[in-house]
Amino acid sequence: MLIQLTVNGETIAVEAPPDITLLDLLRDYLNLTGTKEGCAVGECGACSVIMDGRLVNSCLVLAPQADGSEIVTIEGIHAPDGGPNDLQQNFIDYGAVQCGICIPGMIMAGEALLMHNPHPTRQEIRMALAGNLCRCTGYQQIVDAIEATAKQRQGEMG
Amino acid sequence: MFDYIRAKSIDEAVALLNDPHCVSRPLAGGTDVLVQVRHGPPSFQRLVDISRVPEMKIIEQRGDEIYIGAAVTYTEIIESRLLQETATCLVEASRLVGGPAIANAGTLGGNVANAAACADGTPPLVCLDAVAHIRSLNGWRAAPVAELITGPHQTALHRGELITHFTFPILPSSARSVFLKLGRRNAQAIARLNVAAAGGLGADGRINFARVVPGSTLSHLRRFVEVETLLIGEAPSTELCETAGAEAGRVMVEATGRRWSTEYKEIALHGLVACALRRVFHLEN
Ligand SMILES: Cc1cc2nc3c(=O)[nH]c(=O)nc-3n(C[C@H](O)[C@H](O)[C@H](O)COP(=O)(O)OP(=O)(O)OC[C@H]3O[C@@H](n4cnc5c(N)ncnc54)[C@H](O)[C@@H]3O)c2cc1C
Ligand code: FES
Ligand code: FES
Repeated sequence: MLIQLTVNGETIAVEAPPDITLLDLLRDYLNLTGTKEGCAVGECGACSVIMDGRLVNSCLVLAPQADGSEIVTIEGIHAPDGGPNDLQQNFIDYGAVQCGICIPGMIMAGEALLMHNPHPTRQEIRMALAGNLCRCTGYQQIVDAIEATAKQRQGEMG
Repeated sequence: MFDYIRAKSIDEAVALLNDPHCVSRPLAGGTDVLVQVRHGPPSFQRLVDISRVPEMKIIEQRGDEIYIGAAVTYTEIIESRLLQETATCLVEASRLVGGPAIANAGTLGGNVANAAACADGTPPLVCLDAVAHIRSLNGWRAAPVAELITGPHQTALHRGELITHFTFPILPSSARSVFLKLGRRNAQAIARLNVAAAGGLGADGRINFARVVPGSTLSHLRRFVEVETLLIGEAPSTELCETAGAEAGRVMVEATGRRWSTEYKEIALHGLVACALRRVFHLEN
């Protein structure tokens, strides 16, 4: 069936089977492989994307369910020059990245949090990452990187 | 292989669900259904997406009742001012469902229709004496949530029926409701035990309203009227909450018999119910 959606600001129409997930649509039909598949059952958050302003697990969204929606994937998060944005740079600076498989999802969860709550406490950051598993870092540095970004963005706005 | 179609209204959804040529099931947030299709071949030929039906997204007060559309998500419950004021136990339960991505997609209707024993949305609904409103080709029917859910993953819903919304009477103004969950960790954890409780005091300072609904406990989710009866007419105290907790444990053991998990569950339920009631009656420091 024909699925029309906006991905990272670009309007796209793509022919795809009705029973595949948004994750498969992004990776296999749109070649946006930055979104990762971990568990495929909603438990790890590696497939996190922002759909109509809300964080979702793209492995638990049916591709046609996203028809008419606005999707932001990790490919849509970057600085104007195409390099890392402030959150991504902080992940690098705070040593929040090891193997990297969870990181696209972590960045999406971080951006979704900062969209809805620009002044999160550390506890709120932890809760916002509750659906995102990381086997490597122990989370501290990830929380640090999001906290630092929130503070910097507040500084810029104030 | 299965097909997908999006319904724009309740009428259209019900017509699609009853299409004799195509075995169809509702799709709301997909957080149960899409996990199930990962684990085995689907029992349907088509999913009818009801997640965007406007009439099923309503949260409002109608007279002295609260109305919640079945396609309302946990995030929408958490963000609702009205529910924060009138259904604290449901808001607290919603905050503990999955992580944010699950809360953004999962719906109350899906939670009830899926009827997992460990569900977090159902004990608050039973605690609030909520009624499910159901549409089919035969028209409307209403069923208390406590009767609609007949056992673990079992409901009295018939093929082609759609839960459209829930209603519950607003609690007495003196009453307050809470929800507690015991999981292996706070978030994204399936409840080992949970409890929704509500209570209120009369002008004499004695309990005149009490509801206690432990989840993941009995094969049939219900109010523990035995515990409620024990509370009514008493002045709230930590000792009373302990007695009520012990009674909840006793009721559970009486119903389920002793099993390998009872030693843990009895103590845990006792503690959880006592703690919930202390919060209800402001006895927590
Ligand atoms: C990682 C993860 C964590 C989770 N954590 C929790 C948790 O902490 N607590 C908890 O309670 N649950 C949890 N769940 C389970 C799930 O998210 C909830 O049960 C959720 O409420 C299901 O709603 P849904 O809209 O996603 O249902 P769907 O998957 O869309 O549907 C579930 C079932 O209900 C039927 N259905 C849906 N809507 C209706 C309707 N209006 N009328 C009739 N039938 C309908 C569908 O046909 C299907 O059979 C978790 C799931 C995952 C994947
Ligand atoms: S791949 Fe989607 S949550 Fe794990
Ligand atoms: S960096 Fe390896 S899983 Fe998170």
